[in-house]
Amino acid sequence: MTAGDTRRADLEARLRGLLGGLDTDAGFESRLMQRVATLAVAPREDLRAQFERRRELRRRRLRREVWMNGMTILGLGACAAGLLWRFAPDIQRLGADSASLVDPGLLAVGTLVAVGAAVWLLVKRADTARR
Amino acid sequence: MPADDAITELIQAGRAEAAFEQLVPAYRRRVFGLAYSVLRDRGAAEDVVQEVFVKLWQALPRYDGRAQLSTWIYAITRNAAISAMRKQRRSVSMSDPAVFEQVENRGAAPEAGPDDAALWQKVEALPVKQRQAVILYYQEDRPVEEVAVMMGLPVNTVKTHLHRARASLAAALGGAGEEVA
Repeated sequence: MTAGDTRRADLEARLRGLLGGLDTDAGFESRLMQRVATLAVAPREDLRAQFERRRELRRRRLRREVWMNGMTILGLGACAAGLLWRFAPDIQRLGADSASLVDPGLLAVGTLVAVGAAVWLLVKRADTARR
Repeated sequence: MPADDAITELIQAGRAEAAFEQLVPAYRRRVFGLAYSVLRDRGAAEDVVQEVFVKLWQALPRYDGRAQLSTWIYAITRNAAISAMRKQRRSVSMSDPAVFEQVENRGAAPEAGPDDAALWQKVEALPVKQRQAVILYYQEDRPVEEVAVMMGLPVNTVKTHLHRARASLAAALGGAGEEVA
């Protein structure tokens, strides 16, 4: 072995000794796993918060719609009652005339169909809003 | 690398978490060595290693296996380390005495005894590519081929860097550099 070979072997051994221990600090992996675990949980929490927010918004919208529907029905009822009150004599006369012209049974069926259609429309609208 | 095949299989089976648990111990030292060889600062290198693994954690489910796993990881590491170095350069002012002292002191390797301090300073003073080649080669006695993949350079170029680095170190330490090759 020449002097050059010896020097080279010595240098290489020193470099191995110097650089061989180059590594992260102890506990690096556990710190990394902790950080990654927080990353994994965060999106799930975000999704849950988003879901809760949307559910709350939908609940508020439904409450508002129920209130609006109630007010509409009350308003229409009040108008109808007012009209009935105002034109009661005319209606009474018209009813008497109609009864003489139309079969009372047919009139009752027609009225029931009209009320049923109105109720069905209201129920359908409420169902669509709930979805 | 055999571990790469197992990790890739886990990813393709949709088990990215299990793949990540195998990937961290398999690549921790190599990623740290590569980051350190660029940054020459333990704290900054460790920050980069964290960033790299967090990026890998997020990107792993989308890894399609077209590129070699190691090549992909080393490319992410090199980019992260270079970005960190640029940030350091922007934020660091050498006119600040505290910063200057920190840079002066960071030269010592953690395991370096007093006899090795001179060698460490010589390694630090090498040109960037030579220093990188030396650190990555001697950190774990890696084959030159792997060091080449880590550095993203051809094998012969890495051999040349190593050859020149050894010669410079030997010459600087008082030996006949031209004989050490």
